[in-house]
Amino acid sequence: MSEIKLKLKKETEIPLEAESITPDNFAGKSINEIKKLVVYYGREELTIGDFFNVTGKSEEKDDLIISINGNLSNVKRIGENMSGGEIIINGDVGMHVGNQMSGGKIQVNGNADDWAGAMLKGGELEITGDAGNYVGSAYRGFWKGMTNGVIKVKGKIGVEAMLWASGSVPAKRLPTLICGSAGSFLGIHNHGGTIIVEGDVDRCAGADQIKGIIVIKGKAPKILPSFKKIGEVKEIELFNGEKITGKFIEYAGDHSVKKNHSTVSKKTGELNKSVNGRLYIAA
Amino acid sequence: MAVKKIKTIYDVLCPFCGTLCDDLEVDIADNKVVEVRNACQIGTKKFYSSNPNEHRYETPMIKKNGKLERASWEEAIDKAADILANAKRPLLYGFSSTECEAQSKGVELAEILGGVLDNTASVCHGPSLLAKQDVGQPGATLGEFKNRADLVIFWGSNPVHAHPRHLSRYSEFVRGYFRKDGRNDRYIVVVDPRNTHTAQIADLYIQVNPSEDYELLNAIRAVLRGVELDEKEVSGVSMEKIKELVNTMKTCSYGVIFFGMGLTQSLSHHRNIDAAICLTRELNDHTKFSIIPMRGHYNVAGANQVFTWNTGYAYSIDFSRGYARYNPGEFSSVEVLLKDQVDASLIVASDPASNFPAASVKNLFKHPLIVIDPHESPTTVYADIVLPAAIAGIEAEGTAYRMDNVPLRLRKVKDAPGECLTDKIILEKLIEKVKEKRGE
Ligand code: SF4
Repeated sequence: MSEIKLKLKKETEIPLEAESITPDNFAGKSINEIKKLVVYYGREELTIGDFFNVTGKSEEKDDLIISINGNLSNVKRIGENMSGGEIIINGDVGMHVGNQMSGGKIQVNGNADDWAGAMLKGGELEITGDAGNYVGSAYRGFWKGMTNGVIKVKGKIGVEAMLWASGSVPAKRLPTLICGSAGSFLGIHNHGGTIIVEGDVDRCAGADQIKGIIVIKGKAPKILPSFKKIGEVKEIELFNGEKITGKFIEYAGDHSVKKNHSTVSKKTGELNKSVNGRLYIAA
Repeated sequence: MAVKKIKTIYDVLCPFCGTLCDDLEVDIADNKVVEVRNACQIGTKKFYSSNPNEHRYETPMIKKNGKLERASWEEAIDKAADILANAKRPLLYGFSSTECEAQSKGVELAEILGGVLDNTASVCHGPSLLAKQDVGQPGATLGEFKNRADLVIFWGSNPVHAHPRHLSRYSEFVRGYFRKDGRNDRYIVVVDPRNTHTAQIADLYIQVNPSEDYELLNAIRAVLRGVELDEKEVSGVSMEKIKELVNTMKTCSYGVIFFGMGLTQSLSHHRNIDAAICLTRELNDHTKFSIIPMRGHYNVAGANQVFTWNTGYAYSIDFSRGYARYNPGEFSSVEVLLKDQVDASLIVASDPASNFPAASVKNLFKHPLIVIDPHESPTTVYADIVLPAAIAGIEAEGTAYRMDNVPLRLRKVKDAPGECLTDKIILEKLIEKVKEKRGE
């Protein structure tokens, strides 16, 4: 186990883009080499050493911990594409933290800005405060968002989390989001993601969902008209086999989506609800 | 009194709204507009605004001791280039009320500066573009709708006031090849929370609760698929009415949805458009259906086109890395200003001070501000440098894209007053000077 410590020298005026801060990039490098890694400040190409004090020692990627201190709310893209090791951020962090990460862990002891864990492919992102909009979402124009991994946010998250999540039980890809409470359009265009909300959600949860499970343990203001009530359940089985117990009302949907599994039988005119996305709301 | 010689110019384009009418006749005497024929009242007004008036800038202006004072082009360009070349993250914004050739120069300048580039779609139909990227868009040109559509739906748009001649040229009263009887051959539906003047001349008016369009679209889509809903009423609209609308949609021979900012700028923004586009796509299983945004500024569609063919993206572009990156919400002008992430701004043919949230405007004024504009506006008043422009489409020619992305040629009908230059020439001067200062 080795550790590299970064400390922000002073807060920046315009955003700093620091996707070079990953265990993958730091592994096996000397402090001087790490200080020379590139960061972007406006149109200028500068180095980590220009903005951070760097101490510690770095060895193998998977055994490496990078801990960062300071107000990083204007520092973007920390942990982008990382595939192993760990990053601990003590303070608020800017946009795109851990985007497209495929392995390892990021722990944010503070709040995160928009696009935290966007298009996550694996690994774990944990945020102890709140997170902005588009947590674990697909970037603009992508039809495949988060494909695997886990995001945990203790506080509330913004709108459109887990947009275009894409999971598959046979392929063992189970993108999962657990959060305190969520803004509108949670899990929109969800294709097989799992979302658990400990508290309340805003409007239109599960809009255009095809597969996937959304569990809301608090309140939801209004359920989309295209969701059909199935009944009350006492236990929910998630894709990974885990179970959640408690009294929930089960809904199937979104039935407004054409190419989903909610076929209407031509013969009987009846709706097949068995193989559809699920929305559970505490009774 | 000597009789003034009047010159009439025919087939003039109206550089005001996205309808981009191309049949105007403008009478000019003494380099003044004396009469405009065929244009609607708002279009006509724009032509008259080019006549001499106290709100027009005729020379470059530089702020000295808190007041804008006249300056030479040389001094103004030099100072403006200084500000831009020294900025770490300049914002270039506007571009929707100028011609494509100038827009292209704007892209070039933004790339050289490594700045943030954005146009007004950011605050009007940006959501439409986002939705289009997510789910596509079955569209057509206005001529197609005029000749074929027998069902016209205005959703969150009020053309009677925002696009006055749209109705008589393309969508309501006009006779089409297959719609020989004009208005009588079309069924008009308006969906809007307000009983607008457009709603009052519709065959079916659906009053939706404010900001609940998404839920209504969602219900319509489900009903279209044959799903029986549990609800009796959605967004304030009864299930009977929803079924009636779905039936009308399914049985028409060619339908079109014209949507406006009532849909893009209400609560669900791009998700409204996402749902409306999905609905249109699904309607094509039953009949022919299209959907198209009612673009506001006459050349905002052009700004999207020009930005896209130059950078790959329609708006909200960041050049800080030397190549184009795109992310509305991160690189869109309202947000970068709100978070105070730029250190200088160049505004071209636009008035963000009137349209942006107050917090963004405050930060816009905090840093050096350069404005290229023909007229005084709330934005120019706070500018450090104002570069006076000829009004594109009246005092300068060029290309503009109609709301359906058809390019048309803007005409020049009169000369610009004083020392005004075209947007394109001003931007070229800036590019040259910035390059010089960077030693390129
Ligand atoms: S409808 Fe629009 S383009 Fe046509 S004359 Fe009126 S303002 Fe001009």
